[in-house]
Amino acid sequence: MDTHAFASLAHVRILLMPVGVISQSKFENYASEIRTFESIRLGDIPADQKDERARFMPNPLSTGHLQLSFPTHPPPRSHLPLSLLRPSHFPLAVIGVAACTQTDSLSSIYAQFNASLLDIFPSEGIYPLAKNCFVFEESDDTNLNLSDNLPGLVVLPNMMGNKKLYIGTLLADLCSQIIGEFGVVIQALESPMGNEYLNSSSMPVIPPLSEIPSPLNGMKDSLPPLPSHHSQTDMNKSGFALSAAPNIKRTSSGPGFRSSNLNTPLARKRLSSIGVTSSHARLFKVLGDLFLLSGRPDDAMVWYSEALLLFKTSQDFAWHGAALEGAATVLIIEAWSAGHGLQHSATSMREPWTDVSEKLTQATALYYRSPTTDGEPNYSLLAYLYSSCVLRHSSLLFAVWSAKGWGPLAFTTMLQPGPTPYLPPTLSRDEGNDWAVLERLSSISGISRSSIASVLAQLHGPWLLHLGPRERVAILEAMSSLYSCLGYRRKEAYILREVLGCILDLIVCGREEDGLSRMSSVPGTAGLGFQNLNSSNLGGNYSGVGVRLSDSTDGNESILNLLKYVCKVLGINLDAVRLVDVNQDQLLHNSPAPVFYDDSEEDNYELYGWPELQVGVVREAVAVAEALPDFPAVAQFALSALKTLKPALSTGDQHHLYSTSSRALAIARRRGDAKSVEYWSGRPIISITVAPLPLVRLPIEKPISALKPRMSDITPILTGATDPFLYNPRKTAAAQGKILAVQNEILEFVVLLKNPYIFDLELESISLSTSGVSFDTKSLRVFIPANSIHEVVLSGKPLEIGTLIIRGCFVQAPGGASREFTLPLSTNEEQERRAKSRSILACEIGRFKYSGFEFLPWEKYSRGKLKQPVQSKSTIIPPRFLECKVVPEQPLLRIRRTSVTHGAVMLYDGEMSTLRITLENVSALPIDFLRLAFDDSTIAPAQQALAEGDLSVFDTYETEHGLIHRPVFSWNKDEARQILPGQKLTLSVTCVGKVGCTNGTIHFSYSHVHRHQLTLDAPPQLFHTRQLSYPVVVTVYHMLECYGMNILPFPSHPSDDTKAFDASGKDGGDLHLGDETNWCLFSIEVRNTYGLPFEVSFDRAQEGTLPLTITRTVPPGSMSRIVIPLKKFILSEEQLSQPIPTLSDRQFVVQKSKLSDSEANIQRELFWYREELFKHVRSRWRESGGIRSGNLSLRQQRMTSPMLDTIRMTKSRIDMSLVSYSNSSTEDTPITYRSGKYYPRTDEFVYLRIKVTNLSPSSWIFTVDLAMEPLEHVVHEGVLIDLTVGELKSGQSREVEIALCFLACGRFEIFAEAKAFQPLRLDRKAGVGKLVAIVQGINT
Amino acid sequence: MSHHLFLLSPSDTPLYTLTHYSTKPTPSVTSPLSANLPNWSTSAFAGTLTALSGASSATHHTTGGGVRMGGGQDRHVIQMIANASLDAIEDAMRKENLMYLKTVDKFNEWTISAFITPGNMKFVLLHEGKNDDGIRQFFVEVWELYVKTMLNPFHTAHTIIRSPVFDTRVRASAKKYL
Repeated sequence: MDTHAFASLAHVRILLMPVGVISQSKFENYASEIRTFESIRLGDIPADQKDERARFMPNPLSTGHLQLSFPTHPPPRSHLPLSLLRPSHFPLAVIGVAACTQTDSLSSIYAQFNASLLDIFPSEGIYPLAKNCFVFEESDDTNLNLSDNLPGLVVLPNMMGNKKLYIGTLLADLCSQIIGEFGVVIQALESPMGNEYLNSSSMPVIPPLSEIPSPLNGMKDSLPPLPSHHSQTDMNKSGFALSAAPNIKRTSSGPGFRSSNLNTPLARKRLSSIGVTSSHARLFKVLGDLFLLSGRPDDAMVWYSEALLLFKTSQDFAWHGAALEGAATVLIIEAWSAGHGLQHSATSMREPWTDVSEKLTQATALYYRSPTTDGEPNYSLLAYLYSSCVLRHSSLLFAVWSAKGWGPLAFTTMLQPGPTPYLPPTLSRDEGNDWAVLERLSSISGISRSSIASVLAQLHGPWLLHLGPRERVAILEAMSSLYSCLGYRRKEAYILREVLGCILDLIVCGREEDGLSRMSSVPGTAGLGFQNLNSSNLGGNYSGVGVRLSDSTDGNESILNLLKYVCKVLGINLDAVRLVDVNQDQLLHNSPAPVFYDDSEEDNYELYGWPELQVGVVREAVAVAEALPDFPAVAQFALSALKTLKPALSTGDQHHLYSTSSRALAIARRRGDAKSVEYWSGRPIISITVAPLPLVRLPIEKPISALKPRMSDITPILTGATDPFLYNPRKTAAAQGKILAVQNEILEFVVLLKNPYIFDLELESISLSTSGVSFDTKSLRVFIPANSIHEVVLSGKPLEIGTLIIRGCFVQAPGGASREFTLPLSTNEEQERRAKSRSILACEIGRFKYSGFEFLPWEKYSRGKLKQPVQSKSTIIPPRFLECKVVPEQPLLRIRRTSVTHGAVMLYDGEMSTLRITLENVSALPIDFLRLAFDDSTIAPAQQALAEGDLSVFDTYETEHGLIHRPVFSWNKDEARQILPGQKLTLSVTCVGKVGCTNGTIHFSYSHVHRHQLTLDAPPQLFHTRQLSYPVVVTVYHMLECYGMNILPFPSHPSDDTKAFDASGKDGGDLHLGDETNWCLFSIEVRNTYGLPFEVSFDRAQEGTLPLTITRTVPPGSMSRIVIPLKKFILSEEQLSQPIPTLSDRQFVVQKSKLSDSEANIQRELFWYREELFKHVRSRWRESGGIRSGNLSLRQQRMTSPMLDTIRMTKSRIDMSLVSYSNSSTEDTPITYRSGKYYPRTDEFVYLRIKVTNLSPSSWIFTVDLAMEPLEHVVHEGVLIDLTVGELKSGQSREVEIALCFLACGRFEIFAEAKAFQPLRLDRKAGVGKLVAIVQGINT
Repeated sequence: MSHHLFLLSPSDTPLYTLTHYSTKPTPSVTSPLSANLPNWSTSAFAGTLTALSGASSATHHTTGGGVRMGGGQDRHVIQMIANASLDAIEDAMRKENLMYLKTVDKFNEWTISAFITPGNMKFVLLHEGKNDDGIRQFFVEVWELYVKTMLNPFHTAHTIIRSPVFDTRVRASAKKYL
């Protein structure tokens, strides 16, 4: 490629050309050997010619250098018009490089050399001026016929020791030839004809030298044509040449030209005399050029200044500019030769390069203005001249800048740029030379970067389109390199985009012109209306990608790298999605490195860069990669853009990029491309949860000790809801226990996936990533709808017993590689870590401390200004993952049939019925453990009421009693038997109608406990049960209501009113009442609220009495009162002193109500007597005319104190009678006694005999109080209060007598009340007695 | 003559853009070099090149004749140029203490002037003619408007300005000064 070295005008170009069969590496090898000669000292150049060829020959003692450059490409033919304007642009000599093997012959090599020369160089050109072919011997045993001695062919034997020296000599010879030829050329131009040619157009072309003299001579002198190499005239003698014979050989002035600065005034005068039609300015300029090339800058300067003088008046802008450029080059060469090897000590006032710079500025302006109106198609050449001039100017400034000032280093850079022309030694290769470094260069050299950039910016303009593609690429490359070195990365990116455009244009067009897919829109047929694309439709509709014949992908990588670089400058990371090798994918799969991926970075997306530009550039990048074509790269770019630029992308763009990427991936796969993209779309997985097992299959862990019979038989139903501890860490720990899974049974996971994009995201496969026990799972293909969260169920089977750890998911996009996303449990540490990183990010967001490139995320992180939220190794906590405990295989039971129709049971209150349930073992394991548990709708409210603890002790007891002794469901434990696989078992469950029950559930817990021990390990301390539930809908009709329980004292005057007694029951006669005072009446009202009549029976079962049953039929809607006599009873003190029991084992039950002791006593008594009462009285009901029957509960009924007093047998019994003693006899005579009444007479002394019997089981001291009515008509002996009876043992009785005299006739009533004492205890009402006396007169 | 104003956040994201066409004629300093450009493209990639090199606007100019109203200018290219000029602006920012960077860069036919606020916001104006004083006054006024917008507590340095009031006022001041 062309390098735009500053001093390229002074470079003698020697084209290196491969000849014959030679491999590229060999050619490069030899070429680099030749290229070591960057310059040749003038003194080394043989100057033996004596004719006009000696004109440019160096003085043998001159100290100058000939600058050489060795391109390997000739300039294009279209540049031929520049051949006079810029001779240095053309290779002045050609060196063929041939490698000689055994089979080659020299002559064939030579022939090939000549043939390729003809190919490359147009016959009408004047270059090359010299040629040589170097044949490098490959091995010693070549049989070259060295005697052939072909001219212009040199053999370099392999054995030659100092090859380099020899090459140097050869090059010197070649240079000598070139310089000699310069003389020939200039001689032709000096002729009037030549000068006419020179001035004929702005870009004159000189015909082959052989043709110049003939018209010249033929026209003017009609001299016979001479051989071309003899036809030159000498400049000094040109005056004569017009008239004299031109074939006179000029020999005399040859040496004189060795020091031509002496001759120049003369020459100018002479020449000015020739120019009849045209000025000699161009001729002088050519002279200057040639002297410059010949390494004689002094002479060149002289001629240039001559030319410039003349150009000032003319309008020959291009030539004027070229002369200025040449002069500028001369200045640098002079400076170089002056300062070469010396220390620079410039102390001039002005910056030393100002002169050069001014000249170049002037030249630039001239080129810029140069007219192109003469219809010549030389836009491209002018644009080229302009561009190279600007580039020369900028490279001057750049060289001085980068070399830290005007000095030898700068000159060397300008003269011999070396292999890396755009990377000065003062800058390092890696991008991002620090701003400080660059600014230091500026301050040292005194050239600011912006001034270089502003000079360089002149280069850019529409005229670039005029250039040929190769020049354009070269110039743009140079430009971008300069920008890069200046640290102007955005400008570099701008230019690089153009470079890419050029290259891609060439690639695409080259492809189209391969003959197969020639399009009608190829240049040249522009009339067909090929649209003038501008970049508004960048990327969108690149069309006409041709057929690729050769599958060479060389250079694609570099283009992609360029693209990535450009995108990175604009803030897009095209490597955000990495390419992975498909074949290594498997390896990756096997050793997944834990990827801790924070979704926090997605949440806190911050815009950076220019979104519109980014989108455009990305689309272009995708189009470029598509055009190459490099399909993995297409996918990579498109997906990276989707990943990183999502907020900036419009919906259309998203769709486009996604479809492009999927297409590209499909093609890549079809082509067997080894590369693919990794998974890209952020983190698709939100959460993984274990789908809860159906209750039927859920294993429940139980300790093996649960199988042992329990000592304390507390019904668990009561402890249900309460926990005495407000905070129970064991309970929460148990609740968070591991999820249980069963071996060889399907375990399902619910995975939440998200798709933030506006297209449906396809996942080719998603599968669980597990560790621990082996897990048999299949991957799934999923479509996630656009912009939504999607739920999929992944299932698998754990194959072993142990712990299964679910790390996350493997996700694979279509055509891509799969990637693991781990999902740690959100433990506290994990939450903390996330919160930390999120807050670090949040802290950075919205800040504008860093601007420009420093804002880009990768810059931020690389700089270390923003610490990555990474914990140090020591404190890092391995994340915890979701874990499942896999338990051994479990049996499975199912309900085969039940006796319940529609799962519903209808019962009357208190009715009992039986459900039959048949279970079947459908697993391969036997079931040797079966338990039933029940639940119904009455339990929970009762439990809650208990738990609240607001109930009184009495209510608590009632509730607990209801729960324990009257469960809705119950079963017989003995029915449980082992169920072998496939067998059935029928169980019966008793169901009791309980008001308020609406539904119930029967739970069957079963297990295979007694397993075969495969090992000798200790048997596991745990076993697992499964539960099968059978819900039952229960309807209970509340048909009979009992209320108004009462206990009445037995009427004490049965003889008075026997009819009433008969009315209360027909069995009244059979009551076998003994002593009336020992009896009381139990009465209750039963109401039938249902639509059917019911028979209600009350049974009395009391010790010491005959059993009694009273049956009534209660018609619907009516109420019956049932009365049944009860024998009074008394409970012992020990029994009464017991507190009201609690059926549960609840602790810490604090008595809420503050009852005094006596109140508590009363309550206890009420409770115990009531309990005793319900033992004695049972009630049943029966459907009238039906078979359904059940119990009638009396427990709703409350007992009151009067009732208690009635039913309780007193401690003592007081029997009172009236007796009279007849006249001091000890024999008493009873007073007439009739139907409970005594009939004593008035004014007679009678004795009241009070018999107190101790009925209580312990001994008491009794006193008796008496009261009489009307007292004023009774005379009594002693006091009526506290008549001492004395201590009575249990069952003992004692009589006390007191004398009375009734003073009037009428009815008297005498009451006696016994009081019982014990030490420290007093019972005021230990017994009562009543006596009625009808006192009659004596006369009656 | 057209003007393109970009308000760039510290992260180089445009928060507000304005294209203003003033009635002043475009100073025509065209080189013969940019004449007679090929008006076909060999491929779409060459189209990119055409656009980026500024040729599309140039051809538009020559073929359309008369006053160019910026219709042929490619928005993408304008943005690229504005973005590329940030290099020069950043450079100037670091070295100079000025807020108004007059003619800080030139590219293709565009001259770029910039204004840096203390909050590191960059106002970039692409213009063709020379109008230093007007541009300075315009920038100062836009700055004032921007500061008023920033007073909104919900507005950060990275929030895109969507306020219609801001827009109308900036347009008015563009009309006044440019």
